[in-house]
Amino acid sequence: MIEIIQISRGGSGGVTGAKILAEAAMYEGLDAQAIPKYGSERRGAAVEAYVRFNNAPIRIHSPVYDPNHAMILDISLLDRIDISKVDQDGVIVINSKEVPEELKGTGRKVAYVDATGISQELGLVLSGFTLVNMTMLGAFVKGTELISFENLEKAIRNYWGELAPKNVEAAKRAYEETKVVRV
Amino acid sequence: MVVKQETKSMTGNDAVSYAALFAKPDVIAAYPITPQTTIVENLSRFVDEGKLDAEFIIVESEHSALAACMGAAWSGVRTFTATSSQGLLYMAENVFWTGYGRLPIIMPVVNRCLAPGWNIWPDFQDSMAFRDAGWIQMYTKNNQEVFDTTLQAFKITESKDIALPSMPCLDGFVISHTTGQVDLPDPEDAFEFVGPYDDPVIELDVENPWAYGSMTGPDQYSKHRRDLMVAMERAKKKIVDVHKEFEERFGRSYGNGLVEPYGDDEADLTLVTLGTIGDEAHEAIDRLKAEGHNVNALRVRTFRPFPVEDIVEFAKKNHKLVVIDRAASFGHDGPLRIEVEAVLKRHNVDTSVSGKIMGLGGEDVPYSAIIDLVKKELKE
Repeated sequence: MIEIIQISRGGSGGVTGAKILAEAAMYEGLDAQAIPKYGSERRGAAVEAYVRFNNAPIRIHSPVYDPNHAMILDISLLDRIDISKVDQDGVIVINSKEVPEELKGTGRKVAYVDATGISQELGLVLSGFTLVNMTMLGAFVKGTELISFENLEKAIRNYWGELAPKNVEAAKRAYEETKVVRV
Repeated sequence: MVVKQETKSMTGNDAVSYAALFAKPDVIAAYPITPQTTIVENLSRFVDEGKLDAEFIIVESEHSALAACMGAAWSGVRTFTATSSQGLLYMAENVFWTGYGRLPIIMPVVNRCLAPGWNIWPDFQDSMAFRDAGWIQMYTKNNQEVFDTTLQAFKITESKDIALPSMPCLDGFVISHTTGQVDLPDPEDAFEFVGPYDDPVIELDVENPWAYGSMTGPDQYSKHRRDLMVAMERAKKKIVDVHKEFEERFGRSYGNGLVEPYGDDEADLTLVTLGTIGDEAHEAIDRLKAEGHNVNALRVRTFRPFPVEDIVEFAKKNHKLVVIDRAASFGHDGPLRIEVEAVLKRHNVDTSVSGKIMGLGGEDVPYSAIIDLVKKELKE
């Protein structure tokens, strides 16, 4: 079982991203689950979502407490994730131009990319919020190597239909530009 | 022969919506309420896009939503709605009218706790409040079962010899908003299973006017209620038969449709559950077995009619039942535990029963909490 925690700002597409990631895992032949955490979530607030992949049916319905991997869609939310709970061999996938100071010297595997920059260049902005969800899925796939880019692309195309090209492009650019380092 | 199906990724509310789409209701009237809202959104979109040829009646409240459905059901057409929590409470008068009036309406309830405090997360307090409203209630454990149960509900409810409305129940958010995999049949195969509603339970006829809901004296009134009791009893066999027919066509089953046992026939401790806690309990049992504990489970899928015989039979083979309730009957105990205890007492089964109320207002019930409960109970 692979468990992922994702944190984002409401309005940047994190919940949709988690859903598409689960679908991509399904194309990989896995049982997959995406759980959005609802409550007082709203635009601009910190929003968590959890994703599970498994090679047998998933019977767990709880949120993820001890993730294998973490995805941070907004660097200002880095301190909202308890990194010590993330598996030592897991990947911290983060929207950042460089390795964040807080992670340096932790020995962690970090996958980082300027997702905000890529999304803005592609015009993926809605109501003032930069949509970094698809971009970060490209970074996740590159950093963790759990899912092929082809299956991610298939899930993105299925979800977005005629709006797919820009979203696929965002994921593809992030997939190419993401740097994976041990910090 | 099992028909071809395609695995899709979707939320529990999407699964409900597909079941409704494939069953082709003629009339839908619903009012949005978290966490049921996306069902209403999906169905109105299906109608708008021409995928579903149904009359979608826009109403100003849940009370009116069910009132509109009642009118539609009286006119002899397939009728669907869905609600949750405060919305279910607001339609209360008509929920009883529908049940006691034997109107064949399908209404999934996306379980959410009741205010105050204001909270959108799941427990079963909302549907449990309508235990005695004359509706069939089935609680589901995952997205797939929600689809399957909603489809089965049409066939059970619309049988002339049953004529009882159905309330498929799904845990709010935990199922409704969680994405998982659902094996979807072709719409034609799903519709063929449900069948057209061409022999209605009731049908208003302007050429042959009739009065409904008129003054009814004690003799007739009590006869109606006794008829309802008998129909509920008949519904048990119908649920089993429809579930069996479903299994033959789609290759999936949940015990016998009334209860779903898990693990060995006999164990030191048996977990009795409803809803997604039942699925989580399976995970707990496998982990406990790996540690050498002998634990099994009985998930009550159908709560009304209550599967008395199945519970008695399972309890006889076992030693200690631990009932997990996700609702409370204040001044007594969890509603499932109360009923299990009563059933065993009546049938002279001396298997011990204990229980715990967990998961109120969306409190998480992870398998680790179930494991802790089992270990504590095994020591006592």
